[in-house]
Amino acid sequence: MFAIESDALSKVYKSGVFRRQEVPALTGFSIQVETGQIFSLLGPNGAGKTTFIKMLLSLAAPTSGSASVLGRRLPDVRVREKVGYLPENHRYPGYLTGEQVLRYFGALGGAPSGALPARISSLMELVGISQWRKMKVKKYSKGMMQRLGLAQALINDPEIIFLDEPTDGVDPVGRKEIREILRDLKRRGKTIFLNSHLLSEVELVSDRVAVLDKGHLLKVGTVDELTATGQAYVIGITGTLPEPVTVAARAFVIALSQQGENVTAECRTTAELNRVIDLLRRNNVEITSVTRARSTLEDSFISLITGEAHP
Amino acid sequence: MKIITLIRWTVRELAAKATLYVLAGISTLMLLFAALAMGTDSTSDGTTITFFGKPASPPVTHEALADLAGKIEAGFAGGLFLGIVVFGVFGTAGVITDALEKGTVDLYLSKPIARWELLLGKYLGSVAAIFLNILYFIGGLWLIVGAKVGVWNIPFLLSSFLLTYVFAALYAIVTFFGVVSRNMAIAIIGGILYFMLIAGPLEGRQTGLYLLSESGVYRGILDGLYYIFPQIPAMESGAIHLISGEQAQVTPFVQSFLSGGGILGVAAWLLQRRDF
Ligand SMILES: Nc1ncnc2c1ncn2[C@@H]1O[C@H](COP(=O)(O)OP(=O)(O)OP(=O)(O)O)[C@@H](O)[C@H]1O
Ligand SMILES: [Mg+2]
Repeated sequence: MFAIESDALSKVYKSGVFRRQEVPALTGFSIQVETGQIFSLLGPNGAGKTTFIKMLLSLAAPTSGSASVLGRRLPDVRVREKVGYLPENHRYPGYLTGEQVLRYFGALGGAPSGALPARISSLMELVGISQWRKMKVKKYSKGMMQRLGLAQALINDPEIIFLDEPTDGVDPVGRKEIREILRDLKRRGKTIFLNSHLLSEVELVSDRVAVLDKGHLLKVGTVDELTATGQAYVIGITGTLPEPVTVAARAFVIALSQQGENVTAECRTTAELNRVIDLLRRNNVEITSVTRARSTLEDSFISLITGEAHP
Repeated sequence: MKIITLIRWTVRELAAKATLYVLAGISTLMLLFAALAMGTDSTSDGTTITFFGKPASPPVTHEALADLAGKIEAGFAGGLFLGIVVFGVFGTAGVITDALEKGTVDLYLSKPIARWELLLGKYLGSVAAIFLNILYFIGGLWLIVGAKVGVWNIPFLLSSFLLTYVFAALYAIVTFFGVVSRNMAIAIIGGILYFMLIAGPLEGRQTGLYLLSESGVYRGILDGLYYIFPQIPAMESGAIHLISGEQAQVTPFVQSFLSGGGILGVAAWLLQRRDF
């Protein structure tokens, strides 16, 4: 059984006056997330990441397609007894203290009130906000809010935890702590679904990654599979690359882009790199340097996205 | 029960806001005024109620004194009701719109609660908070009149429920506007304008709006509207009548229950269809 499964899930938002304007947020999205994995959905702003989670939690209704969570076909309220959610830009009633937020939302999640105080203490300890437990959340800093949000997502001891940009606004030490928490949850058999555009974050913890852009799934695989697509080389040149050269090179390399006087070419083999260099030389482009860039998930992410943007 | 949790925490939410304290503050001043000012004056002809020693009427018999006390209580209740409409709606409209705000609604709805449950819990939470306010004032005044005048007017005490009921009917409209607009100002304006510009004129349509046209269709529409929306003024005067020991009609209360329930139902249906 998959923890999360979606089949050709699509969402078209209707907005504007008389709901005449249509925004396709997600198109034919099919993925499977295995139980006990950390799965990340990666994509630029507006790709449809949040929309996907919202449909799984019945916050938005799918336009077409279907999905199931924990083996239950959606929509099904009972699913939400077993999931935790850290929404992006989450806001709590400001008059509550951190501790009260956990008590309130814990009770709404169905936690037995007797067990709550002990669980709240240990969770606040875990996410590092114990010293602010009695402070009103309207005085919380962004990072503190994010930590509280994580504790809130965990309050009902969920089987699946949906985290939408969990490290947004958290300092580097905090990010590392959150990664540790995620790994620990995974060790305890929980499934974690992460949304992020912070690629370096995802790379360190994810078992599998899906790359999404403009509502379309571009790629799914392990971090290794995604980064093993090619080797990026940075070719220093003077001036800008003529457009026909860019087009010609893109015909055979995985991706090619220029930032200032650096051309980044993602090639499958060194022969391909040499073809690029030949092409540049034939077109009188002056090469000043060639270096091998370590291909990170970030690079393949960007090349996937830009490759899509300029086919 | 999730809905009980929602109600309890909504009352807490309102206890943390200033607006309802204004109402409670005004209530307290009125109660102090009543406690200080009210007294009785007995002569061989009978007894009367006094304010700062000034008799409110010529001395009357014991039964008539109870009537007089009822009339005074009814006057206070009418004043209280206006306060509830203004400060109560101002103070509680945000309960609905805050819960539906982006970032907050996601949290609520990711929990195993249905949308109608969230709406009903928030609605009843506000009504419960207003009930506490009403009970404080009515209960306080009931004690003062009882202690000072010796008239223990049970219908007056029970009118706490009726006045809460009237507020609840009005609050269904505030909730509706809150759900549709997700904007506190619009929810408040919707509720207050309904009370002032629609409910009142519809109630008095026979001596007002009817005169604009003789057309049967026009008058039929007015009557239809009157029976579709909660009859706030009719219920308010019904409650006042009961306090002063007179008869009151039941129909406005039944009609408003159906109407308010229908409006809440439409609001819940709209909420159910929405994408967040
Ligand atoms: N409630 C809504 N009504 C109309 N359009 C919406 C709504 N929510 C999202 N959209 C649109 O759907 C698209 C996808 O949005 P979504 O929030 O899923 O992106 P995202 O990948 O989470 O982006 P980000 O990284 O910025 O959070 C966007 O074009 C957005 O404008
Ligand atoms: Mg998002």
